[in-house]
Amino acid sequence: MSRLEIRAVEKSFGEVRVLKGVDLTVESGEFFTLLGPSGCGKTTLLRIIAGFQGQDRGEVTVDGDRIDRLPAHKRDVGMVFQDYAVFPHLTVAENVAFGLRARKLPEAEIKARVEEGLRMVRLDGLAARLPSELSGGQQQRVGLARAMAIRPRLLLMDEPLSNLDAKLRIDLREDIRDIQRRLGITTIYVTHDQEEALAISDRICVMEKGVAEQVGSPFDVYHAPRRRFAAAFVGTMNFLKAARDGGRVRLGSQVLQLAAPAADGFDLAIRPENVLIGALGEGRPGVDFDAVVSKVVFLGREAQYTLRTEAGDLLAQVADPTRELLAMEGRPIRVKLPYDKILVCSAAGDVAPAEAA
Amino acid sequence: MLAPTKRHGFDPWLVVLGVAWAIMLALLVWPLWSVLSASLHDNDTGAWTIGNYADVFTLKSYRRAIANTFIAGLGGMTGALLLGVSLALIVTRYAIRGRIVIQTLAVIALVSPPFIGAYAWIVLFGANGVVRQGFASLGIDIPTIYGATGVILVFAFKFFPHVFLITSGALSAVNRSVEEAAEGLGLSPVQRLFKVTFPLILPSVTAAALLTFVLSIADFGTPRLIGRDFNVLATEAFTLFGSEVGGNPGMASALSMVLIILSMGLVLLQRRLTRRDVYGGNLMRRPFVVKATGWKNVGLHAAAYAIVLVGALPAITAVAFSFRATRGPVFQPGLSLQSYERVIATVSKPIVNSLVYSGFAVVAIVVMGTLIGYLIARRPQPATAALDGMLMVPYVVPGIVMGIAIITRFNGPPLELTGTGLVIVMAVFIRRLPYSARSAAAALKQLSPSLEEAAISLGYSPAKAFLRVTVPLIGPGILAGALMSLVTAMNELSSSLVLYVGATVTMPVRIYLAVLDGEYGLASALSTILLGLTVLAVLGAFLLSGRKQSSLL
Repeated sequence: MSRLEIRAVEKSFGEVRVLKGVDLTVESGEFFTLLGPSGCGKTTLLRIIAGFQGQDRGEVTVDGDRIDRLPAHKRDVGMVFQDYAVFPHLTVAENVAFGLRARKLPEAEIKARVEEGLRMVRLDGLAARLPSELSGGQQQRVGLARAMAIRPRLLLMDEPLSNLDAKLRIDLREDIRDIQRRLGITTIYVTHDQEEALAISDRICVMEKGVAEQVGSPFDVYHAPRRRFAAAFVGTMNFLKAARDGGRVRLGSQVLQLAAPAADGFDLAIRPENVLIGALGEGRPGVDFDAVVSKVVFLGREAQYTLRTEAGDLLAQVADPTRELLAMEGRPIRVKLPYDKILVCSAAGDVAPAEAA
Repeated sequence: MLAPTKRHGFDPWLVVLGVAWAIMLALLVWPLWSVLSASLHDNDTGAWTIGNYADVFTLKSYRRAIANTFIAGLGGMTGALLLGVSLALIVTRYAIRGRIVIQTLAVIALVSPPFIGAYAWIVLFGANGVVRQGFASLGIDIPTIYGATGVILVFAFKFFPHVFLITSGALSAVNRSVEEAAEGLGLSPVQRLFKVTFPLILPSVTAAALLTFVLSIADFGTPRLIGRDFNVLATEAFTLFGSEVGGNPGMASALSMVLIILSMGLVLLQRRLTRRDVYGGNLMRRPFVVKATGWKNVGLHAAAYAIVLVGALPAITAVAFSFRATRGPVFQPGLSLQSYERVIATVSKPIVNSLVYSGFAVVAIVVMGTLIGYLIARRPQPATAALDGMLMVPYVVPGIVMGIAIITRFNGPPLELTGTGLVIVMAVFIRRLPYSARSAAAALKQLSPSLEEAAISLGYSPAKAFLRVTVPLIGPGILAGALMSLVTAMNELSSSLVLYVGATVTMPVRIYLAVLDGEYGLASALSTILLGLTVLAVLGAFLLSGRKQSSLL
């Protein structure tokens, strides 16, 4: 059980500032995800925690002990890699035992821990195989068992699922989550996949351009984004140019019952599943537009509509659509944006729920 | 990307980097600088002069040597390309029986001691050549092998295996779907060959072409033994440097510099031309193999076997003639082990020397090459990139020039090493180090860096992670590379020829001297022994690397 603290960590590669002063606290036993697009600094931060890279400034502590001056092999940190990094010349069992041998544990204990580890990742029975005989998913399970076998203070995972196909990805994701819960190991998980982050994490840190944009539970990050980047990156978000009209918000030709922010140049934001079309919107307080359906994409349990309105193009999502609703392409339709689902995104990129005027 | 944290104390790889640079400076930069300096000084007065270079471009004999060098290079390259590309096309695209035999013969041609080619051709087609005499007895007079034509022919048959192996590698990596797409778009098979297949393998073919050109202009033994008055830069430099009386080191150095600049210019040109043309795809379907029928089938088989048999002919000849009876330099009818008895009785020293020097050189090459390869692959930084660039230099410095450079540098204070075995080892070491370093780097680049990081995160120090994970994984490749280094080290002629003294004669030098003296029996027997050792090493390398020949050569 270990609590990780990251204080004012900065890192530059040449002229490029990859981390611009990151502060984070990861509670003991927490599953903490660093989410962001490639180049946002998430992997660099993970590698700094692991000790594969040194930070330029700032400190990393685990339970109050600074670990950032320790060499990587003395940090007692388990790592799971994107490309599995399973040793191809060693069997599955030898891979899992590898870290235990470095710790000079007695053979009997190594054997017990290997067996336990393989059972945990559901690879019992494959102990004598070589990695080349395993599928990608199985190899990553070996990687996981190997990292867990040393009972590290922290478990770091660098996009462990991104080389697997969709179905396997979800299976292994569930297993990782279950194992982590059961063992209560503090875990830092790096991914660029927002759905994965939402599904697996206790808390998410959305990163962009070397800055931690927002830290919060999956629910908060999705429903109450505090920064434009987080709002756009996690899930899908409609942004509509809006203007001040007196103290209120004007969208297209309509003045809304919403208070305008202090400065001009702001947008309104709303998630596609909150855009209501046709009869679905009747009776909700909000603003109505006449729209034309320019495209309908049927995805099975839902359908996605591209709507052209005077305020701009909008995406709308309808759960369990009817046959009639699917035949709407090219036709006019009423659209409602409910006030309680509208967010205001300031020119500076801050996001807050819209306030009634 | 993987720059280690500087603050976590001392990085052993910095020491390696320092040692590598020290070696490059001491064995490469310093000696070559001496050559450059000698070329710019007057031999007698020691004053600065560009007179040597003026002579190179004004004196008729040197201008002819430059022209001949180009003729030999272009001729050898063209011949090798024709033979090599044809053979590669036949073998990769048609069902040819005995593919293994063809590949083995090509490899034998490739690893045969380079100069036995020249000498075996003399035995067959020289003034008293067996084949010539045979034809003469039938009343047919065929020209001797001597002269420019002979040199070019020998080069073509000696260097085509390089082209063959590189090109067939590229040809079997051409995605079948791409060719099918071309046919689907309406191209005939012949159009497809010229519009799709050739452009795709062009980078490999130009690389092979360059290699054969550089090998041809650097070759010393062939023009020396069968060129007669066909002098090239390499032979001129050797003659000028080595003359017992009135050697002209300034001039020899100037010619050496011209040779280096020529090779270097070509390498840079080829890099420019092909850098962007690296085609790759993840999805791979092996190309079709067509089963030819009738006369076409017969013709293809005949062509393929003719090319490799002629290529391997020198090796076969050397072995066959080593068992013939001789009287003095003249072969007699009948079989005998006379030549081997003479080898054992009089010239066993070169065998021991060769084995000892090559052994030392190979150990040094492998250790240093692997470490440098690691730096190149895993520690990208300006000092390593510069080291990588510096490693290109030995590729383009002909053996003769390297020999001259080392003897010029270590002939007097501060380090007097002339006449020791060490200089011979040093020359081989620095000439072959790049191959070992590059192949180690290539092997490491195939290996994900996260493997070592995984070991480190599991509690092994970086040095232990390297030993426990990286070394076992690239070990077989390194060992195979070591055996191939052994092959080239044992067969090194040109630099040793400049550096040897009576006590440090090696097998190749002794064979060369025997050929010059017309002692063909002795030369055959020694060549056969050398060939035997070479084949053993090559077999070992293939066993270790799972028969991926082209990755070794």
